[in-house]
Amino acid sequence: MNVEVLEDERHHRFVLNMGPQHPSTHGVLRVLLELEGEYAMSLLPVLGYGHRCHEKIAEFKPAKSFMPNTARMDYLGALIYNHGYAQLLEKATGVEAPRRAEYIRVITSELNRIQSHLLWYGAYLLDLGAFTPIMYAFDDREEILDILEDITGSRLTYCYYRVGGVCKDIDDKFVTRTRAFIDRLRGRFPMYDELVNGNVILQKRLINVGDLTPQTCYRYGITGPLLRGTGVAYDLRRAEPYSVYPEFDFEVPTETSGDCMASFKVRFREMEQSLRIIEQALDKLPEGPVMAAKVPKKLKIPAGDYNSSVEAPRGELSYYLVADGSDVPYRLKVRTPSFSNLSVVPEMCEGMLLSDVVSAMGSLDLVIPEIDR
Amino acid sequence: MDVKSVVQQWQKMATSVEEVDYAVSGYDYSICLEGATVPAFASMMLEAGFYLVDLMAVHVEPAIEVVYQLAHVETRCRVMARAFVDEKGEIPSITDIYQGANWHERETRDFHGVVFVGHPNLEPLILAEEDVDLKPLLKTEKTLKDVAAVRRGQPEDEAAKPEAVKSPEQS
Amino acid sequence: METFYSILPELIRIVICAACGAIIVFGNALVMGYAERKLAGHIMLRPGPMEVGFHGILQLVVDGLKLMGKQLVVPAQADKPLFMIAPLLAFAPVFVPLLVLPFSEKIQGFDLDVGLLLILAFASLNVLAILIGGWGSNNKYSLFGAFRSVAQNVAYEIPMLISLLAIVFMTNTFSLRDIAAAQSPVWFVVLQPLAFLIYIVAMVAETNRAPFDLPEAESELTAGFHTEYSGMSFSLFVLGEYANMFIVCSIATVFFLGGSSGIPLPYFEYSGAIWFLAKVYALMFFLVWIRWTYPRTRFDQLMNFCWKYLIPFSLVNLLITVVMVKLI
Repeated sequence: MNVEVLEDERHHRFVLNMGPQHPSTHGVLRVLLELEGEYAMSLLPVLGYGHRCHEKIAEFKPAKSFMPNTARMDYLGALIYNHGYAQLLEKATGVEAPRRAEYIRVITSELNRIQSHLLWYGAYLLDLGAFTPIMYAFDDREEILDILEDITGSRLTYCYYRVGGVCKDIDDKFVTRTRAFIDRLRGRFPMYDELVNGNVILQKRLINVGDLTPQTCYRYGITGPLLRGTGVAYDLRRAEPYSVYPEFDFEVPTETSGDCMASFKVRFREMEQSLRIIEQALDKLPEGPVMAAKVPKKLKIPAGDYNSSVEAPRGELSYYLVADGSDVPYRLKVRTPSFSNLSVVPEMCEGMLLSDVVSAMGSLDLVIPEIDR
Repeated sequence: MDVKSVVQQWQKMATSVEEVDYAVSGYDYSICLEGATVPAFASMMLEAGFYLVDLMAVHVEPAIEVVYQLAHVETRCRVMARAFVDEKGEIPSITDIYQGANWHERETRDFHGVVFVGHPNLEPLILAEEDVDLKPLLKTEKTLKDVAAVRRGQPEDEAAKPEAVKSPEQS
Repeated sequence: METFYSILPELIRIVICAACGAIIVFGNALVMGYAERKLAGHIMLRPGPMEVGFHGILQLVVDGLKLMGKQLVVPAQADKPLFMIAPLLAFAPVFVPLLVLPFSEKIQGFDLDVGLLLILAFASLNVLAILIGGWGSNNKYSLFGAFRSVAQNVAYEIPMLISLLAIVFMTNTFSLRDIAAAQSPVWFVVLQPLAFLIYIVAMVAETNRAPFDLPEAESELTAGFHTEYSGMSFSLFVLGEYANMFIVCSIATVFFLGGSSGIPLPYFEYSGAIWFLAKVYALMFFLVWIRWTYPRTRFDQLMNFCWKYLIPFSLVNLLITVVMVKLI
């Protein structure tokens, strides 16, 4: 057995290369661990295995035709990424989406958010060694995928929104199925609560693991459920209201402990709030067109810089566009939540047990392609 | 958070502070900084409770512009602070203030070749080690634009804007 | 020649016992492999294997053939002799405990006076196999799994043994048949509920199954000690695991659940084996059930649980038992 050893005072440390193929890194992420016994004394995430040059591609084609790329960055929150980008171009060019289109966007985005949280829920528990919940989560998620497939045509990397609206109107079947799904998922929550969330082993694995404070979050730019888990009720749907979100009544769930259990609970309660939003949106759904009347074929963006921030399932998603007056962006920068969230790992996980590293990294809800872009 | 006092602090250290229309641009304040004042600005922002949203570079004539995006969690106040790198392509790092900037700065070093002075470990992050000099997001001579060409400047935009807060000129 | 004829019946008996042992080991692996996949499937809202045979009943046979046909990959940097010995060492010792298990009053290989000691001695060889396999693989994850396994199994053997010792004090024998026979009016699970609970927990840990499956914790250590094993060498580990499950559940049945006692059937000296197997498989079902229900514990929690709770409680239980035995 030849074990790599480090020089000097760190010579007794054991270097473990977690990833790029590892069950709990959820993608091609590599983490270099230096272990002392079971304790991780230093962590070094190594990125870039899934880099696909999205920002460079954006500089070479008309801004409108970048829409499908946005879905490929975060394959779990594709519609929300669509939403942010459509909104960015609408802001920049002054095109306004009709109200019905905005409602449809909200409904589908929230379905997408629930879908993403359900997948996280299953995969996280898989990280913690519980094999069964992922199947229940996928059972529910499958229903969302079926509903969305009917109107968007795809199941994962959607490209449903357009500048000035959405590409296809929803039908009655969509509405009835979504309502049925709301009831179904509401019926499932008590079961999840009883079987999983109250489990003593799960609580021992999550409470006081991966503690974060609001200050740490500000310094690292951590947003989303992790920030809300530290007691800061910061949700862009409320803080910088976009689309028609101000018209709905929903809460921003928070917890105060800042550990893995806090973000676990926050995500769980967010699904309930998303259901509330969908329900209200279906009730209030206005009639009318779903596309703005006049969207120029060649969409010229006036010179200047534009920003569009939306609340993605993992935190704040920002598109920053610098335009030079043509229809091709001069520079497009995508700020993805997982990038900032992952950067806290070296500080958060130092000195943790290997099992806790897995549990803490799982609570970040990483999607690697959006980190590498 | 008291926006007014923060704006006053900005005006002390920035070359210009401009309030922009959120409905059009998606952020509230545009601030131009000297490269050397960036760390002081960052410390001030951290104290005021801002979090670092993003850090990126835009390649324009005359020099690469580094853009810091910050936002506040309590009041809506989204700030774009810009600073040009110096002739050597360097700018002070803010990693010791906002630790989250660490990776953003490494990424910017990858894509634009901006050197962040004082960064603990300016190794390639997204790109592979052998691509350290690739700098893929730099513009070519043909595509490089002057900074004025990418600034908002159309007269109708100017009219739509609320009155801009201009700082006293600093040299 | 004289001596040969005198030991001939004994030799025949050994051959028959070994053959029966092999049938039990392989048959148990087939039944449990299928049952586990099917149960896991139904627990998880899916049907499990459905393709080969009626409701996938032949799936395990086909899987076994496939595993036999697979190449045995030995990693380039591995310690080849150790790497090859480990699966054999995990598999071979499981036959011995089967020889002394009293399946019914008359079905038993050998009734040894030290039956319990024999079982425990051979059961602990499993740890050695895992350590050798993990070390010989020359893989960091395997090594981690092996280390965890040794720490865990050594720790959990203690409460397991102490809880069984309480029964031995009550019956004054190590012979499994006598222990089973001693429970004719009441099963020991009624008299020794604490020992039973401790034994059940230790049993799960000893067989390295979830929620105590830390040696092969796949979200942390990919596959733990058997990361590098493929084909038949991997399946020998699996066969060994299922056989070990069978053995620990049999011990629980003999010590706490009255062995082969139950509602009388015709030819009960032999047909009692039905009750015995029913109890064993009920316990195995329990093992499968909790495996697919609970998340995994953390390593320090696992060890703390053993040293801080199980061992003290089992010692107290032993003390009380001794005092009671002395008084009554």
